[in-house]
Amino acid sequence: MTRKIEIYPMNRVEGDLEITIELEDDVVIDARSAGTMYRGFENFMVGRAPLDGLVITPRICGICSTSHLYAAASALDMHFNVDVPCHAAWVRNITAMTEMLQNDFRQAFLLFMPDFTDTAYEEEPLYADMVKRYAPLEGSSVRQAIDETRRILEIISILGGQWPHSSFMVPGGVVSMPSNNELNRCAYLLNNFKQWYEHQVLGCNLERWQAVQTKADLISWIKESETHLKSDLGYFIRFAAKAGLHKIGKGHGNFISFGMPGLEIESERQTRVGQIPLTVGGFFSDNRLSSMNQENITEDVSHSWFASSGTSQHPYQGQSSPYATGSEDLRYSWAKAPRYKGMPAETGPLAEMVISSNPLFIDFIQLDGPSAFLRELARLVRAATVIPAVERCIKNAISTPGQYYIDHGEIENQLGHGLVEAPRGALGHWVKIKDNKISSYQIITPTAWNASPRDADGVRGPWEEALVGTRVKNPENPLEIHHVVRSFDPCLVCTVHAIDLR
Amino acid sequence: MKRTLFWLQCGGCGGDTWSMFNIESPNLPELFKSLDIEILWHPTISVKNRADQSQLLEDVLSGRQQLDFLCIEGAIIRGPRGTGLYDLANGKPKKDLVAALTRQAQYVIAVGTCASFGGFGADGEIEATGMQFLKWDKGGFVGESFQSKSGLPVINLPGCPCHYDIIGGTLSQLVSDAPLDLTEHQSPMEWYNIMVHQGCTRNEYHEYRVEDKGFGEKGCMFFHLGCHGPLAHGPCNKLLWHRRSSKTRVGVPCFGCTRPDFPQPYPFFETRNIEGIPLELPEGINRAHYMAYKGMAAAAAPRRLKTRKTGI
Repeated sequence: MTRKIEIYPMNRVEGDLEITIELEDDVVIDARSAGTMYRGFENFMVGRAPLDGLVITPRICGICSTSHLYAAASALDMHFNVDVPCHAAWVRNITAMTEMLQNDFRQAFLLFMPDFTDTAYEEEPLYADMVKRYAPLEGSSVRQAIDETRRILEIISILGGQWPHSSFMVPGGVVSMPSNNELNRCAYLLNNFKQWYEHQVLGCNLERWQAVQTKADLISWIKESETHLKSDLGYFIRFAAKAGLHKIGKGHGNFISFGMPGLEIESERQTRVGQIPLTVGGFFSDNRLSSMNQENITEDVSHSWFASSGTSQHPYQGQSSPYATGSEDLRYSWAKAPRYKGMPAETGPLAEMVISSNPLFIDFIQLDGPSAFLRELARLVRAATVIPAVERCIKNAISTPGQYYIDHGEIENQLGHGLVEAPRGALGHWVKIKDNKISSYQIITPTAWNASPRDADGVRGPWEEALVGTRVKNPENPLEIHHVVRSFDPCLVCTVHAIDLR
Repeated sequence: MKRTLFWLQCGGCGGDTWSMFNIESPNLPELFKSLDIEILWHPTISVKNRADQSQLLEDVLSGRQQLDFLCIEGAIIRGPRGTGLYDLANGKPKKDLVAALTRQAQYVIAVGTCASFGGFGADGEIEATGMQFLKWDKGGFVGESFQSKSGLPVINLPGCPCHYDIIGGTLSQLVSDAPLDLTEHQSPMEWYNIMVHQGCTRNEYHEYRVEDKGFGEKGCMFFHLGCHGPLAHGPCNKLLWHRRSSKTRVGVPCFGCTRPDFPQPYPFFETRNIEGIPLELPEGINRAHYMAYKGMAAAAAPRRLKTRKTGI
């Protein structure tokens, strides 16, 4: 028997999301995802002054506004043809990665783990512990995460004035000139966060965790001690196994990451670039890693309510002109379908791990393939590599005096793009400036990649594909669907085109 | 006495919610506990399956479930052509749900500038509006004469995002049943009867008209860089963010994000001026006197300020 289920509103998602699945004998045979709100941000930008994107685009998203600011400022660096001084690059990276740390643990503890407290799991032996730790606002781990994510954000207030929604990055650098005292304060805040992360989330120090390089290592790690077993990571691994998260959410197996632009400066001194996540972007498909070239990115609108002269365009050529045809023809979403060399790709912490050739995740991919478990695992352990990277940036800024801003001069280039690694993955702004005014502003967010609809060839977007094949125990309360979609950390407010007109 | 809260996100970015998570002393869980507020629904916090969600809505809308605080985050989206189809809840325009909930609530609180005044999209194709204001004009979505069950109009807490202390402070005030004095734009006096400029560490530079034209300096940003500090109401430089800093302190101009006309239609990072004097001057100021005062002030500026020797 085939039945159709609409899951709406899906809560604990940034923005409004509707998922439609088709079930045959409790197995998902097809899935469609659509955002249900349209805010038209890209169209606000047209005709505005070149720097206005620094104020407007962070307001697209309340949880990753610093990443939008970073992308907007990087695009302008290109327009003004200005090289950002090292100290400014460090401040940009410190703040963007701090936002990432905040996001990962708010996502894990406020949005992802509470699904494990659903009464559907009350027969599980670990259930009482899960409720004690992850019940909304009440759980012991949740309360700690609320405090620690607030504290770490103080770094952005020190360097950028406030969080969210500051505009401290500008073409040519950053406006703030942190004193060594302020940078020391950032180092203390980071260190406090690291101690919490080691003690509470991992149950071991970063060095011990970094020695986990294979699936077999992970299995021995968890058995090694009571603190590993009873850390948040330990509980996640054990409960996810019970809930079968390693068996669901496979997807296409294509990954894209943009990397952090400012880390390249430092990577010149690193011989093994691959070991440092976020350093370089890349594209991974068919078990092969290749370098990432933004010219290969297109957006397909064959299934999206946008007017277009062709079906697939590079974001410099793209437009966002609403073209509603209702549900009569192929079109079913206002999200466009980003493609790399014509292929869909997922993005986020797992993509970063794969593209930076992290041995643990490469081992898992080769043995078991991607899964909802692996995606969330990547998010929980990303801090183990991000924290040392932030530490290094702070240390560098303290140890040498330097400039934080250089005069950006006049606009030299009509085209500018800013590609950064946001908390949820690859984020790009493509901006055209003509006669000192913005003439086009196209944004591809991480969730646009992940939540993409089908393309002209009928190929599903990453999480549509990841849902297919999922067995749903109770269609009235399809928790498995929630686990899969949430493993992508969906952010629909970011999917700036999103709309559902019916 | 137990009170209840229902939080609805409309046309917004979720930034006010994430700002709220930065509440400290007490932190967010402690705040709700100490105020004895039960969160009936918050899209980021609640764990409720579909059946329980619809039951809850039915109970609230029929009045069986008491509703004390209705918090609206984000603008009310009315487009296209007044249908509200750009923002749906359960397949119906979300604006209709907002209207129905509004009738049941003791207090209606617009959290953030979009919910208060329309904010992003107020001029655009999505036909956004604030709850009881559209930019400077009273009326908005619920209409000029609207009062919630408590007798108060919509309480506006603008800011992009709204400072977390204001959210916690307003709920605390209302629970204590103390009167809440509001400004002409229906925002609590406690936080909105102060200018962003007050408390800025660049104040001395402002006083002597030592102004910057470029980024990364210590001077005042009012004359050239579009700073709205003396033009916008809000406690950024009093409360600070993370009790630590503010945009203007680190060198980012205030963009006037608490103002009904935010985001301004003219360029950010520039000050519109007449003969070098800002077009828009602080409330109630006589232009000629101001020009004379600023001329004198610049002449009296000490060398340590002119050479940017004084720290900020």
